[in-house]
Amino acid sequence: MKDLTIRNLSKTYFDPYVGTNVTAVHDVSLKVEQGEFVCIVGPSGCGKTTILNMIAGFIPHTGGEILVGGRPVKGPGPDRGVVFQSFALFPWRTVLENVAFGPKMRGVRKVEREKIAHEYLALAKLTEAAGRYPAELSGGMQQRVGVVRALANEPDVLLMDEPFASVDAQTRMTLQEELTRIWQEKRPTVIFITHDVAEAVFLANRVVALSKGRVLDDIAVDLPRPRSWDALNDDARFKELSGRVLQLVRSA
Amino acid sequence: MLWRLSSALWFCAPFVVLLILWAVFIPYFDVNPRLFPHLSSVIQAGIEGIKDGTLIQHIGASLLRVAVGTVLALLIAIPLGIAMGVSPIISSFLTPLFRFFSVLAGIAWIPIATLWFGYGFGAITFVIFNAVFFIVTYNTLLGVSTIPLQVRNAAASLGAGRWAMLTEVLLPGALPNIVTGIRTGLGFAWRGLIAAEMIATNVGLGYMLFVARDFYRTEVIVLGMIVIGVLWLLLDRLVLAPIERATIERWGMVQRA
Repeated sequence: MKDLTIRNLSKTYFDPYVGTNVTAVHDVSLKVEQGEFVCIVGPSGCGKTTILNMIAGFIPHTGGEILVGGRPVKGPGPDRGVVFQSFALFPWRTVLENVAFGPKMRGVRKVEREKIAHEYLALAKLTEAAGRYPAELSGGMQQRVGVVRALANEPDVLLMDEPFASVDAQTRMTLQEELTRIWQEKRPTVIFITHDVAEAVFLANRVVALSKGRVLDDIAVDLPRPRSWDALNDDARFKELSGRVLQLVRSA
Repeated sequence: MLWRLSSALWFCAPFVVLLILWAVFIPYFDVNPRLFPHLSSVIQAGIEGIKDGTLIQHIGASLLRVAVGTVLALLIAIPLGIAMGVSPIISSFLTPLFRFFSVLAGIAWIPIATLWFGYGFGAITFVIFNAVFFIVTYNTLLGVSTIPLQVRNAAASLGAGRWAMLTEVLLPGALPNIVTGIRTGLGFAWRGLIAAEMIATNVGLGYMLFVARDFYRTEVIVLGMIVIGVLWLLLDRLVLAPIERATIERWGMVQRA
């Protein structure tokens, strides 16, 4: 695990519908320390997914720089694991093979990589599902696979793009609690994108509020861990922090 | 297992009824065998054909042409379809050609094919090749373009290089469409084969049908028609359909019909 530095990051592209250049991300700077859990929160169209796609290397940035452990990002790579809103599992591979995919790409032998995959599946309570295909699982189970597939490759930074936005509310809360548990156990560096303020405050060490492609503020979350919804629902500090972030996002 | 057996029996039921009607009514109305044969004489022709080896020879020739033509077509069509699926430039450049040639594919190629390859194996295999090639290429292209961008991104961010992207993502991702393409293409190829064999060869099921006509041997004609139909059903039900079932439906990429 390594740190992530973003300096004066910008993204400008030509919008054929408008007929002019549009700035989706404007001069964003952000430093994420090793082992930190940072949530970037903002409304639709604020540029948060664009930032994540640039860090992942899926799209090029047009200004500034992105450094992972001091090295500039050029295209996608296994140092940055990604969890997608659409899960993006390989439907033709079993759950075990999905999780073993990253190690396989690194050239890890079959016995060894299946051992790694089994360890991570156990971490997400997925041992029973190892031999099944993604289509046979519920959405919540599929996203558990998505999370451990990214983790099993031991990336320097874990990038999560609204990963729980397409599961039902109860499952979402369970997944959030499990994610904080897994994070405490493995301590990966995480950047988590969401539009859900409560989710951001629940998960993060730090919440970065974004609007119209600019950083509004950077708020430290000093809630104790382990965190659970039962404990935090009526917690005054949680409400105060959520209120502050919500006000920031809505005022912009 | 019991369910599979009963569904197979149910599939055969209408054919049994047809055979019974045939066995009863053709003798009852005393139909001229030059217009339509008795069931018994068709069976007789079948037994003779197997005994003297001619039927097996015709079937073998036809199947060999289909196999060679199809394999050659797949060897070129799948890589080309993937290249088209990955590169918008190659795809947009070649698509008009594929539109044009997929209309032409089939029997229209026979005259020129016989000039190029002579009568027989080459010309007919070429017709099969055409029938399979254009459909499979187009379906492979379609299959690659239906793979969600995020799935390709996921593979890239897990460290997949160009080769792994091809073998681990693009090929399996396009497979449902490729299998559909092969099924459709072989259907056309099988029809084209019989027509081509009537014109451009001296062995094969189509030839067997066509020559029998000259001698008013309706029992050989009907036997040939039955063999053509049954072979296709066997190929489709016992080879192509199980491939689809075993992989694609389980992956949830195609809904069970």
